[in-house]
Amino acid sequence: MNWLSVSSDAFIIAFFLYCFSFIGFCIAIGGSRWSNRDIEVHKKRWSRIAFSLAILGWVSHLVFFFTRWKGGGHIPTSNMYEFMTFLGMAIMFAFIVVYLIYRTTLLGAFATPLVVIIIAYASVFPSEVQPLIPALNSIWLKIHVTTAASGEAFFAVSFAAALVQLLRVVDFKSKEKSAVRQQRGVEWVLIFIIVIIGFLVSVFGFRAGGYEAEFRQENFEIDQQGQALDSTASVKYDLPPIVAPYNSETVSMKSFLGLSEPLFEAPSWMNGVNAGRKLNTVIWSLLSGAILYGIARLIARKPLAAVIHPHLDGIDPEDLDEISYRSIAIGFPVFTLGALIFAMIWAQIAWSRFWGWDPKEVWALITWLFYSAYLHLRLSRGWQGTRSAWLAVIGFIVVLFTLIGVNLVIAGLHSYAGV
Amino acid sequence: MFQNTKCECGHQNPTGTVLCEYCGKPLLEDLPLDSPLEMRYDGIARRSQKSNPALIDRVWNFFSSVKIAVYLIIITLVGAAVGTIYPQESTFINLDDPAGYYRAAYGTSGAIYQALGFSRTYESWWFVGLLVMIGTSLVICSLDRVLPLYKALSKQQVRKHLTFINRQQTIFSTTIEGEPEAWVESFGKQLKRKRYNVKRDGTALLAEKNRFSRWGPYINHIGLIVFLLAVLGRGVPAWHMDQYVSMDEGQTKQIPNTNYYVKNEDFTVEYYKDEELPDALKGTARAKLYETKAVLYECTADCDDPIKDPVLQEVERHDIQVNSPLSYKGLKLYQYNYEQRIRLITVKPLLVDSQTGEEYGPFELPVSNPPLTYTAGPYTLKLSDFFPDFGMDEQSRPMTKSRDPNNPAFVFIVTGPGLQESGEMYIYFPLPNAEDKQLQQLLNESFKKSGNNTGRFSFKVGKMENVSYSEYTTYLNVRVDRAMPFIWVGAAISMIGLVMGFYWQHRRVWLRIDGGVLTLGAHTNKNTFGVRNEVAGALKKAGIEVNPKALDNRRNTH
Repeated sequence: MNWLSVSSDAFIIAFFLYCFSFIGFCIAIGGSRWSNRDIEVHKKRWSRIAFSLAILGWVSHLVFFFTRWKGGGHIPTSNMYEFMTFLGMAIMFAFIVVYLIYRTTLLGAFATPLVVIIIAYASVFPSEVQPLIPALNSIWLKIHVTTAASGEAFFAVSFAAALVQLLRVVDFKSKEKSAVRQQRGVEWVLIFIIVIIGFLVSVFGFRAGGYEAEFRQENFEIDQQGQALDSTASVKYDLPPIVAPYNSETVSMKSFLGLSEPLFEAPSWMNGVNAGRKLNTVIWSLLSGAILYGIARLIARKPLAAVIHPHLDGIDPEDLDEISYRSIAIGFPVFTLGALIFAMIWAQIAWSRFWGWDPKEVWALITWLFYSAYLHLRLSRGWQGTRSAWLAVIGFIVVLFTLIGVNLVIAGLHSYAGV
Repeated sequence: MFQNTKCECGHQNPTGTVLCEYCGKPLLEDLPLDSPLEMRYDGIARRSQKSNPALIDRVWNFFSSVKIAVYLIIITLVGAAVGTIYPQESTFINLDDPAGYYRAAYGTSGAIYQALGFSRTYESWWFVGLLVMIGTSLVICSLDRVLPLYKALSKQQVRKHLTFINRQQTIFSTTIEGEPEAWVESFGKQLKRKRYNVKRDGTALLAEKNRFSRWGPYINHIGLIVFLLAVLGRGVPAWHMDQYVSMDEGQTKQIPNTNYYVKNEDFTVEYYKDEELPDALKGTARAKLYETKAVLYECTADCDDPIKDPVLQEVERHDIQVNSPLSYKGLKLYQYNYEQRIRLITVKPLLVDSQTGEEYGPFELPVSNPPLTYTAGPYTLKLSDFFPDFGMDEQSRPMTKSRDPNNPAFVFIVTGPGLQESGEMYIYFPLPNAEDKQLQQLLNESFKKSGNNTGRFSFKVGKMENVSYSEYTTYLNVRVDRAMPFIWVGAAISMIGLVMGFYWQHRRVWLRIDGGVLTLGAHTNKNTFGVRNEVAGALKKAGIEVNPKALDNRRNTH
């Protein structure tokens, strides 16, 4: 039996089960309007179906994880693909824990799509099992990464609850200045999510179409000893090149909708061929995000947040506030332990210092400081309700930057995470 | 502003008290009468709330503010983020001209970044200052609150003011039939089952549990203070050492500024085989494992004697890998890096008489610290000059470029039968490359021209087994960090505090029956959902059916 093929099948099954679970939660909420049956019975029934699907999906996700561990010979948390799939699994776990405490159907309708997006994002990265480099060959790979991700997973659930809370509480009819600001804020969070979906759509779309282009860049660099180095680097694009790497020549390029050469070149301060590729990806994500959003707006004829808002009538915002806060309260000690203390122990063993101001370390600290500010504001300054919800939303964006942004934008010692 | 702090119950409260220390009646009426009470720190006066602050009080008051603490956290957070825009100077080894480097590598913005000192953010006075201020704030905020809170919680009254009970977050009121004291007693039993400590005072009741979780934040803060002090302690020079040692295989080196010597007995590196690699990585050299077989010695005698060799005693032996350092009495040796670079350790050359074709020797010639005399058959070779890393200076004179044996060259004076008293001079390059061989021939011919030799002798290594060489140079990082135990203790205390504070919640239930009317209020600083369920559960057991959500005071006020 081939463990790895079982593993990838289980992954696909988990993905679809999560999608179905999401649909189930949506029916449970939205369906109560058109169902001619008793609303409570309908809601209870569909919540149960959706939650069972979520549990089944999670079990399948566990199968994926452990068979990959068995087949690959090491815990699958060693590169971006593996980490993001693990994060998705951890978020699902956190969701299950919080759901079992509070039984809030709405939370499912927002947590499951978050997991779907995250594991779809994971699939952008190469999914092959890569053998461990010596630096990662340690028991702390298991301990540090899993606990850190579990803490972050609770922050993700808190984000989902806070977003629902905002969609529920913000007054979409008011023309008051503060209300308008909040309406815009919520809309931007939705746009941010749609841009990520746009990124996924463009990457998987062009990948399915087999698109490819290649560029070569001649590089002149001065090393630390002041010696000049001359090198050439080449890069493959999966998306049609709107922007080419700085100072590069086209090796090969398929034409796309009449686009047969790059429209412009990346600015000179973007070092390296990969910076050009990343900029191109960002442009495509924004473009397809804008198209998706535009279509949605055309159909809805009002802000998307205002479309969702009326469906959330039945729930108490205080419950959501409590869920969001409670998730952070559960996640914060776990995050501290995993992302800071275990990280320091491993860094002390592997890199000879517990702390080195590596960008990833700094951003883990920033995340921690942000959530400690949240807790102080909430517990000592009485920030509850919307203000606290905004902080929970921003907090998860900080978490995402720490996990993904640092590897994409800033390199540092964690660069082997394989973006 | 003058504030009358005497409560109607007769208790005299300190200035700044929000809720009467005795009966709990609100003393400040700035909130709507029906809104939930502000229960932070149980409404006590903090130390900082004095009426006439002196200078020291003003400093204290500044740092005792949570608002200031949050500002400090936010500024530190932003400062730390700015420090990640470009790599810090500390990530480069041997950065001689930082300004020039940042301009060349990152352009104008890099130059500005460097000039403003952001390339040294984490060592800068303002960043360290922020950390010190956070530490101060931790100490003062905690002291300002923990002592009064401790006092307030240890002398709680059972019978609280009705306003106090009615304005809790979780409230309930109903009429009770029958004997009130008996009802209170049976309700108390229900709460005891849920592990509450129950106190009764006639028809009034106070039930409390998990008070210890209130100390969680303060324990966490103590841990953080220990941690921060330990971090500052790393600045003490005697507590901290950070050195790098590079060694070829077989080489022994002193660890700078210590009595310790370390030997690299062997360095091995193992790569993944092609069948272990996924398709995308096939054909690439991906290291699987590299390790230095290291031996640590302590010098016991002749340590600083320039003439004698130090006497070394083995104290520790370990195969150092990336995740497995050698550790001895606080000294730690880490695998930092390695480099593939062939270096000779010893050669056993033969002395060849080119006139007769006869070979003498071999004699053993170590490349580091070679002895001064050698014998090959009837001949004696004296080492007159040694260049570990041979090169020519501007006047084409031989010199050594470094002390590393990258390209060793030996100059011998050969004496023996049939040679003049003063001997003949030959240069020998043991490395088998064409350039060196040509150079050797050229130099020996020039010696011949100047009458230093007759061109009779040459050198030859013969078989490979006559050469021993090192294939890799290993780089070890040597560290002493005496503050580490305190760092871990601080982190552990902090973690205990966090778990105490977040995974348990302090819950209290107050209740009184006045003329058949039951008034119940419950408070928790975290997880009101949980306390509502618990109260509703206990009420149900006492025969009163109520939906937990209906207990929520916030909802009732809408």
